[in-house]
Amino acid sequence: MSFYPYTDNGGSALAIAGEDYCLLASDTRQSGEDYKIHAGYVPKAFKLTDSCVYAGVGFSADGVALVKRVRQSIEWYRHAHEKTMSTPALAQMIATVLYSKRFFPYYVGTILGGLDENGRGVVYSFDPVGSFEAELHKAVGSGAELIQPFLDNQVNLKFLPEVERTPLPLDVALQIAKDAFTSAAERDTKTGDYLEIFIIDREGVNVERFDLKRD
Amino acid sequence: MFLTRSEYDRGVNTFSPEGRLFQVEYAIEAIKLGSTAVGIQTSEGVVLAVEKRVTSPLLVSSSIEKIMEIDRHLGCAMSGLTPDSRTLIDHARTQSQNHEFTYNEKIKVESVAQAVCDLALRFGEGADGEESTMSRPFGVALLIAGIDEKGPQLFHTDPSGTYVQYDAKAIGSGSEGAQTELQEEYHKSLTLQSAETLSLKVLKQVMEEKLNNTNVELAAVTPEHGFKIYSEADLQTVIERL
Repeated sequence: MSFYPYTDNGGSALAIAGEDYCLLASDTRQSGEDYKIHAGYVPKAFKLTDSCVYAGVGFSADGVALVKRVRQSIEWYRHAHEKTMSTPALAQMIATVLYSKRFFPYYVGTILGGLDENGRGVVYSFDPVGSFEAELHKAVGSGAELIQPFLDNQVNLKFLPEVERTPLPLDVALQIAKDAFTSAAERDTKTGDYLEIFIIDREGVNVERFDLKRD
Repeated sequence: MFLTRSEYDRGVNTFSPEGRLFQVEYAIEAIKLGSTAVGIQTSEGVVLAVEKRVTSPLLVSSSIEKIMEIDRHLGCAMSGLTPDSRTLIDHARTQSQNHEFTYNEKIKVESVAQAVCDLALRFGEGADGEESTMSRPFGVALLIAGIDEKGPQLFHTDPSGTYVQYDAKAIGSGSEGAQTELQEEYHKSLTLQSAETLSLKVLKQVMEEKLNNTNVELAAVTPEHGFKIYSEADLQTVIERL
């Protein structure tokens, strides 16, 4: 077999934007080919700034390399402009970085969760070469097919009879994220072990860890 | 002068024993030969005004360009060897565009001043492989006006690569008198309209010719319209207020 520089390490991540918060959750399993599990705790979500968290699913090494590069750019930006990069600026920059490797891409599905300059929750999702979009909720990775329709229903109240729309409280969003991952871990062999949930609000970023199915 | 400064005033990257770089100092002198330019910052925007030396009645005064746009939210007035400013402004424009391309946001005024100053010192022999584009210091000073998240701001850059923020600043041949006048007249609650008048009033005092709508250039950066150079008609209405 010829040399192939990429591996699919699986794993899932989701993000939900609230009125004044954002939530980003991802499992920590790193899978290999077939049914192999390399490790149970290899985080794929990382805090970038006090108002932004990143998650990259797909090829783990590329995800880590991308974060390293993005964090360096954030530092350079801070020195050059004496301010922390805002989440929308960060989203555009990541898109530029991804597209700059258009013909040897970082093999990752990326989501950003954070607050914009006005303190509102925002979610950005990217394809491996930098197409991106601002959204209110998004699931990526091996369990995305399972999680996305669940979020569409529970967060965006899709497929329901006429219902009153009210802002989603944080505790409800947290429960939705946990349920989404418990279910995904049940059906998707590449999602499991532990769940990390980042909560981003005006105070900063907090992480909570939970157990998922380990088999 | 030349007896004391001999030898050390030739190389652009040789310090004199007293620790001075004469070529940089001479470049700063070159600005004092340039036409006067004035910048005034107010809470409503920044005003830039320059004197244009119309040396012949046959000269088309509109072809003298001493105020230029860097970006929609940034403008620049210059004094000294104005051709040198082309390189600097080109660089500022590139940096501003690159910033918007990469971050989808407008670059800060201070960052543009910093970008210009980064280039201002890239003269002489390039250090380890770094290509240098200029064999001498740039003989031009800029007044960079703009608006960003910190509000309206005015920066002054000089050939030594130093930038400083000012409420009001005059550069060029009449700068001494103009600066004194600005110091007396400037106050924090100045409106944009009174800044327009003040800038022309100051220029009028230091200009040799009689000020009219063809021998001065006026521009402003405001939150509403961004950078805008005044038309001869708009300029005339300001002149009539003097």
